[in-house]
Amino acid sequence: MLPYAPARRYLRLNSVPLAQFLRVSKSFGAIRAVDAVSFDIARGEFLSLLGPSGCGKTTTLRLLAGFEEPDDDGGDIRIGGISAIGKRPYDRNLGMVFQSYALFPHLSVERNVAFGLERRRVRGAELTRRVADALLAVQLDPKEFAGRRPAELSGGQRQRVALARALVLEPEMLLLDEPLGAIDEKLRRDMQLELRQLNRKLGITFVHVTHDQDEALTMSDRIAVMHRGRIVQLGTPAEIYEHPRTRFVATFIGESNLFDGEGGARVAVRPERMALAGPGEPLPDGYRSLPGTIDDVIYQGEMLRVLVRLEGNRQCVVALRNDGQLARPLPWAPGSAVLVGWKPEDARPLEEE
Amino acid sequence: MTLRRRILAALARRPALGTATLLAPGGLWLVLFFVVPMLLMLGASVMQRGTYGGVEPGFTLEHYRRFLDPLYLQVLWRTIVWAALATVACLLLGFPVAWVIAASRRHRSLLLFLVVLPFWTSFLVRTFAMIFLLRDTGVINSALLALGVIREPIALLYTPFAVLSGLVYGFLPFMVLPIYASLEKLDPALLEAAEVLGARPLERLARVAIPLARPGIIAGSLLVFVPAMGSFLTSDLLGGAKQVMIGNLVQNQFTTARNWPFGAAASFGVMAVVLVAVMVSLRLRDRDPGRVR
Repeated sequence: MLPYAPARRYLRLNSVPLAQFLRVSKSFGAIRAVDAVSFDIARGEFLSLLGPSGCGKTTTLRLLAGFEEPDDDGGDIRIGGISAIGKRPYDRNLGMVFQSYALFPHLSVERNVAFGLERRRVRGAELTRRVADALLAVQLDPKEFAGRRPAELSGGQRQRVALARALVLEPEMLLLDEPLGAIDEKLRRDMQLELRQLNRKLGITFVHVTHDQDEALTMSDRIAVMHRGRIVQLGTPAEIYEHPRTRFVATFIGESNLFDGEGGARVAVRPERMALAGPGEPLPDGYRSLPGTIDDVIYQGEMLRVLVRLEGNRQCVVALRNDGQLARPLPWAPGSAVLVGWKPEDARPLEEE
Repeated sequence: MTLRRRILAALARRPALGTATLLAPGGLWLVLFFVVPMLLMLGASVMQRGTYGGVEPGFTLEHYRRFLDPLYLQVLWRTIVWAALATVACLLLGFPVAWVIAASRRHRSLLLFLVVLPFWTSFLVRTFAMIFLLRDTGVINSALLALGVIREPIALLYTPFAVLSGLVYGFLPFMVLPIYASLEKLDPALLEAAEVLGARPLERLARVAIPLARPGIIAGSLLVFVPAMGSFLTSDLLGGAKQVMIGNLVQNQFTTARNWPFGAAASFGVMAVVLVAVMVSLRLRDRDPGRVR
C-alpha cells in the first residue's frame, strides 16, 4: 500500500481547498491557452501541473500568481474562498520561484532575500534574523553566502537563494515554475527530495509546473496532467500511472503499449507488466497473448527492454527486471519468434480523447 | 607555402600580431587626425597671438589666465548648467521612450527606426526648422494666437528655453539608444519577481529597472552631456547674442577675433570639464561590482 500513502494524505488535507479554479479560461489572441479549467488546490499539498510545452501549465500558474487575468467571462479563481480576480500578485499571499530564478543581479544574496521584507517595512535586527533563518532553512550558511552576488553562485545555490527569497515571507502558497530545469541531473534528484521535504516541514502549499514526468511522480501528492489547455487527468502519482484515463496520459507519463481490447476499446499495458515467452514456451494461464519477433534487446542496467515487432508491423516494449538473464543462454535473441502477453487486469481501458 | 598561408601561420603563432594588425589602421587614423591636432592646439594655447590669426613663437600662460576672468567663467558655467539641464531633460524624456521600445514586441524595429529618423536630415537644417517653430510668427505662437490662448506672441526664440529645446531635440536619440540597449537585456521575470515580493510599480522602477539600466543611463548621459558642452550651432541659431555658450566663444576666437591661442586655451578649459564628467561617470558605473553585463 505504500505507493498510495500520498492519496491518504491528500484526503486528509482536502477538507478545505486553499485555492480553486472554476472554469477558468485564458486566451492570447485567437489561441486559447487555458480552456475552462477547474480544480482545487488542497491546503499543504504538493501539486504538480504536468504537460508538454504549450499545454497551458505555465499560463495556469501565472493565472494563479496574478500575472495574467482570466478572460472576461473566463471563470473565477478563488484563494482562501475569496475571488482573486483583479488582485495583484503581492495581495495573494504567495511566493514564486522562477524558471531562471530571477535573482536580482545587482543585489547581494542577503539583499535579495531581504527584498520582500523591506517592501513590508521589516527593518533592523528582525530583518537580519529572518534573512539568516531563511538562508539556513535552504541549507546556505549566511556567513558564507550573505555578501555574494548571484553571479558568484552555482546553479543549485541560486535555486536555494530563490527559494529563501520566496519563503522568508512565509506565504501560504509557493509557486514553482520549472524550478529544476536549469540544474544538472544529480543535483536535480537531491533538490526534488529536498523540495518535497520543505513542503512537508513548512506546511506550505506547493504548486509546481514541470514537463518532466519523473520529477512530477517523485515530488507530488497530486498531479494535474495538462494537454491542449485542459486538465486531462488529476490524481495521485500512483493513480495517474496505474490508471491513465486517456491515450495521451498513458504515453506521456511513463510508457505504454496500446492494444485493441475487447469490444474495440483501446487498452494500455505498461511494459513492466508485460511477459515474454520464448519459442515453444507457454505464457502463464489466463494471459492474453500476441505473436511477434524480437527486434532488439536494450540493456539498461536494472532493466532489459525488449522491442518486439507484432503483426501489422507494430512494435511493443517488454521491460524485464535484470535478474541475470543475459549471463545464461536465453531461448530468445533478436530475430526469435516469441509470444508477448499480459494479465487482463493489467490492461487499462482508455477513454476517447 | 603560399604567401597567404605563411601570413596566416605567422598570425596563428603570435596572437598579439593579429591584434596589432586589427588595431593599426584605426590607430594610425586617430594619431594623425586626433592626437596630432590636439598637440598642435596645446602648443597654440601657450604661444603668442599672431596679428592676423595663427600663432607666433613664445611661451605664455596668459591665455589660460585670461580664461579665468569671471566674464569667461560665467560663459563656461552657463554651458555646464545648460548641458546638465539638457542631459536631465533627455533622461526624463528618453527613459520612458526606451522603456516602451524595449517592452514592445511587434513594433520594436519601427520605433527604433523613428528614433534615428531625425539623423536623415542635417543638424543645421533641423535647427533652422526650430526657428520656424519658435519665432514670434512661428507655428507655436500662431497656433496659440489663433486658439485665443494668448493675445501677444510669447518670446520663445533667442531665449535659454529655445537653446535648451534645441539641445534636447538634437541629442535625445543618444540618450534613448543606450538606455534601450540596457532595458532590452532586462529579464521581465525580474520585475515579476519584484512584484510578487511586494514592490509597487515605482519601487520596481527604482529598485530593479533603474539600477539594472544604469550602464545605459550613464552612457546616454555622457553621450548627451559631452557634445552639449561643445555645441555652438544651437546657441548660435536659437540663442542669439545674449546666450553665448563656450563653443561660440571658441569659434569666435578662431574666426572673427583671430585669437587662436585664447581659443585653444578655452577649448582645453572645456576639455577639463568634460574629463571630470567622464571620470565621475566611470566612477559611478564601477561603484557597484555587481552590475550586469
